[in-house]
Amino acid sequence: MQTKKLTLCAVLTALALALGILERYLPLSLLLPLPGIKLGLANIVTLFALYELGLPYAAAILLLRIMLGSIYAGSITSLLYALSGGALSLGVMAIARRNPHLSIYGVSVLGAAAHNIGQILAASAVLASPAAMTYLPVLLAVSVGTGLLIGAVAAVMLHRLPTIRREAK
Amino acid sequence: MRDDLRFRPGDAIAAIAVLALAGLLLLVWLWLPRDRQTTVQIYQNGVLIRELPLDTDTSFTVGGTYENTISIENGTVSVTRATCPGEDCVHTGKVSHAGQSILCLPNRLEVRLSGTPEVDEIAR
Repeated sequence: MQTKKLTLCAVLTALALALGILERYLPLSLLLPLPGIKLGLANIVTLFALYELGLPYAAAILLLRIMLGSIYAGSITSLLYALSGGALSLGVMAIARRNPHLSIYGVSVLGAAAHNIGQILAASAVLASPAAMTYLPVLLAVSVGTGLLIGAVAAVMLHRLPTIRREAK
Repeated sequence: MRDDLRFRPGDAIAAIAVLALAGLLLLVWLWLPRDRQTTVQIYQNGVLIRELPLDTDTSFTVGGTYENTISIENGTVSVTRATCPGEDCVHTGKVSHAGQSILCLPNRLEVRLSGTPEVDEIAR
């Protein structure tokens, strides 16, 4: 059983990396030229892992995805942004999931918003200037849309993959 | 479908809360005092010919092929009179945000507000 769980984690990490690469071919920044704007496709995997395997596994997959992703493409600063955004996002989603009034949609929206806040905080720290903060209102507004979309995809994925669910447990 | 995969009323509240936070931040920025370093830069033929602070009211005329009268008033700048045909610069009206500019193509003139662009300029 542990081996199956481990394998599922590895597959999910690979999927998250692939989604991260796919995302570069769907640049939301063409519509709205803002630094840090994106669909957040990889969050589908984080949400799936959080709901299916729990916080420790989701955190491990997230950390692996960010580390590997920035080895393939990225810099130290982009790693820092991704880590702060990812950590805050997962933390908020894990807490939000315990709220009985929220489904995966609300959890996803709050996670997307938290991701933007984490990234902007890191950017403000790196640049030693609050200039990046001016992007936050637009990023937050966009994150409601992308969060709902990602939540919907994750919901479908969790619903439609009963086999994986059975195998992993 | 699992119950926690179905949209709940609380999700709408979460979405509205995020939008409200975005709106609140936007308002804070719009209400904050304008960047003190915003200056009015006058370019003619692509060359900076004058630079003035946005917070000091003044009015002056720039020559060239035609004449443009530029007014700075209450933190806004506008071209109030022009001898050029069309007077697009006059019709542009008042601008007050860093990053905005007024153009007078016949007189090869640009009135530019320098400084850090604000949220609404970026979002545009």
